[in-house]
Amino acid sequence: MVSAWIGAILSGILLGLLYGLAAIGLNLIWGVMNVINLSHGAFIALGMFSSYFLAHYLHVSPFLGVVFVLGFGIVIGMITYLVSLHKIISAPELSTLLATYSVSLIIIGLGTFIFTTNPRAIDIHLGSVSVGETVLPMTKILTGLFSIVTTAWFYFFLYKTWSGKAIRSVSMNRDAAELMGINTTATLALAFGIGVGLAMTAGSLAATIFPFTILSGGGYELKSFVICVLGGLGSPIGALVGGLVLGLIENLVTLKIPTSYVPFLEFLILVFILIVKPTGLLARR
Amino acid sequence: MNDIALTVENLETGYGELQILWGVSLTVRSGQLTTILGANGAGKTTLLRAVTGILPAWKGKITFKGEDITSLSPHKRASMGIVMVPEGRMIFPEMTVFENLEMGAFTKRARENMKDTMEHALTLFPRLKERLSQKAGTLSGGEQQMLAIARGLMAKPEIFIFDEPSLGLAPRLVIEVFEILLKLKEEGITMLLVEQNVHLSLAISDYAYILAEGKLVMEGTGEELEQSDEVRKAYLGV
Repeated sequence: MVSAWIGAILSGILLGLLYGLAAIGLNLIWGVMNVINLSHGAFIALGMFSSYFLAHYLHVSPFLGVVFVLGFGIVIGMITYLVSLHKIISAPELSTLLATYSVSLIIIGLGTFIFTTNPRAIDIHLGSVSVGETVLPMTKILTGLFSIVTTAWFYFFLYKTWSGKAIRSVSMNRDAAELMGINTTATLALAFGIGVGLAMTAGSLAATIFPFTILSGGGYELKSFVICVLGGLGSPIGALVGGLVLGLIENLVTLKIPTSYVPFLEFLILVFILIVKPTGLLARR
Repeated sequence: MNDIALTVENLETGYGELQILWGVSLTVRSGQLTTILGANGAGKTTLLRAVTGILPAWKGKITFKGEDITSLSPHKRASMGIVMVPEGRMIFPEMTVFENLEMGAFTKRARENMKDTMEHALTLFPRLKERLSQKAGTLSGGEQQMLAIARGLMAKPEIFIFDEPSLGLAPRLVIEVFEILLKLKEEGITMLLVEQNVHLSLAISDYAYILAEGKLVMEGTGEELEQSDEVRKAYLGV
């Protein structure tokens, strides 16, 4: 019994870190440009496929592939921003909501056509680690570690580099940033690119644990929303903590109730927080 | 005769369908302090927004050191040294005072000398030195205004533009702001000032323009305008 709890806690932490990483992508885009990225899940799925093709055709380990997927995500995210969002970035939120939803439909439509919706899985066996009576697959442990490393990189980037500081200043006051000589168009594109890159990275890591289809991003997108509401929109640390909380809840309650109730529970949490503290449990404001 | 730093020729612009400026022309000479005065709604802020590029010009031409900058984006103008302390300060509230100053030195030309400019800015504003690691949003209004000016200094301005720097400040702080402006003038920095405090502004200006309903109605040296009957009646209340 105790070992089941320990297993659930460890598993919850590792998956929670992954959920947190996925949510940071959504969180960044919202925080910087007030855009709710409804293509978040589609990009997560795209990350899964990128990792799959890297492993399948080029024999690149998914954990090495993370760097490529992140880079690819940043590029494709920047292009997406410039093509579909920049013209309407100052328009009411409904416009950007519809634009990102369209991007999602395009990715999922094309993905369904090209990849079909047959489930795929990355063929990776790295053994497992035993903690007492609990057996954790190595891929799950690495996923947790890579989530931490990616999040740490993101923090370093956001707080210690000129580009990161430019993103933060643009999020606070776009006109003032432009007056300081910051190319705000490029900075917004970069922020969207990094948001997408982080989502795709999370997808590429998730693909090492679970089988997936082009539709699999949806579940992570919903979790990301719950996490952002838990941690407060616009707060990356909150997103990571929110991810951990959600991961733990998910893994602990499934010891007692069927897994199929999990989404119900997640949304119960979402609604409850929105009623009690709409700015997010961990938000400053 | 001083070199010409900035010229605005027949500038027309506005917001959406609403035209605010109707053919404004002015000149700012290097090393001088030029002031634009006018009632609320005369178009002073609009003029500055057009000079910095935040608001595109509809018609007319803006040149900086002989170069046509009318269609350049604001960040390109900033990298040429056109630096504005905007109305309402627009500091970055969630960043520390130190980071705000750093962001001032974002452009390539300013970044190289960041350490020296920072030292200089902190000698002008010693109070900021004690608050370097504090979030800028927690500063008082007066301190935020000082930070906004210091941040502008960090950008190594070739022309330093101020939009109502004394707005909303207590009288003692208003004096402090003008003392700073005077110091910067003595350092030889070219400045363009928009102010509502007519008396103090004219006292420190080399040259001034008066804007009314989107048109320039009068110009002259600070002294000339201060002694003009019209200005005294309309703006000084005597």
